[in-house]
Amino acid sequence: MATNTDQSETMYDLTNILDIDALESVRPGSNILISGPAMTGKDALAFDILADGTRQQQGAVIVSTGDRAENVIADYRDRAGTDTVRLGVVDCVSDGGGNAQSGDGIYVHNVSSPGDLTGIGIGITKALEGLHESGADRGRLALSSLSTMLTYTDRKTVFKFCHVLSSRLDAAEYLGLFTIDSGAHDDQTLQVIKQAFDGMIEVREVDGTREARAVGLSDSPSEWVEF
Amino acid sequence: MAQNGDEALEMLDEAVDVVLLDRMMPGLSGDEVLERIRDSGFECRVAMVTAVEPDFDILEMGFDSYLTKPIRSEQLHETVGNLLERSTYDGLLQEYYSLVEKQATLEATKSSAELAESEEYANLTERIDNLQDDLSQTLGGIEDDEDFIATLRGLGNGDEH
Repeated sequence: MATNTDQSETMYDLTNILDIDALESVRPGSNILISGPAMTGKDALAFDILADGTRQQQGAVIVSTGDRAENVIADYRDRAGTDTVRLGVVDCVSDGGGNAQSGDGIYVHNVSSPGDLTGIGIGITKALEGLHESGADRGRLALSSLSTMLTYTDRKTVFKFCHVLSSRLDAAEYLGLFTIDSGAHDDQTLQVIKQAFDGMIEVREVDGTREARAVGLSDSPSEWVEF
Repeated sequence: MAQNGDEALEMLDEAVDVVLLDRMMPGLSGDEVLERIRDSGFECRVAMVTAVEPDFDILEMGFDSYLTKPIRSEQLHETVGNLLERSTYDGLLQEYYSLVEKQATLEATKSSAELAESEEYANLTERIDNLQDDLSQTLGGIEDDEDFIATLRGLGNGDEH
């Protein structure tokens, strides 16, 4: 939850990726839910927002429940357009069997499963620590996806996890992005999970065009924009 | 004060909030006692007393905190105070969740016009806002790594399937 009101802090500007006024000046410590049906580019959008931060020398942390660290790192380098990235990856897939190693600004932590909240917490802590030591005082974290976590853990636990992680990211002045497949859960679950976030980016696909809008980050939902 | 692990387990009941557990003891080891405490279902916080400064791994093993010898009284008070505050945080977070769930149920079953007129909904919203403030002020809003990890570990207990 973004509760810091210090005026001197630098806001996150996401308009390079999504041209929406409400995303021009996002307060550090904000946590945003990226919600939409399957195959509408939610993860790509989250990673693009991270890569944009990397191009501004910010740190990046990816918590991956679906892709092994080596793939996450390769994809991320492509996306950022450079090999010199400062990236922490919490890999919930490989269970220690992955090939990806820490080094050169990359911090990899393996977790036994997407339901291992303690392991994910330790991975994030180590990543933040490593990135901080490498000089990245601010940055962006993406967790992909809450939908997978919800298949391992119940709604109550995932909600609490999001809240506690939000508080930690707020203290670190990071920006958090969490993806959820809106078609995979009932309305009440989505409504509950939404409450753990400061705002939401909704994503949809209309006639082959991907669109997004910001909800809850300004007085009324933004217009849909293409991305 | 228990002289060994067996004695500690005998003394354990719901009234115990915090356990300080030496890792090296005659008889049952600290790790074994911890495991039995967790199996017992009593929701107490356990700090390990150790001669060597441990890593985060200690939290992964299921301890909530640690104290390194020699223990100073100031350090002891700080650790116990922090562990009690974590219990407060967990309680607030649980309450916060149940209110958010109630709010979501109302939102799913009533129209926005009905919600605007519902006193129950207005009360809920206010209580949720207040709890959000309380949570952000407890444990310094989870600024500390140890608070963060231990709180997450607490969430997994009994809730994972």
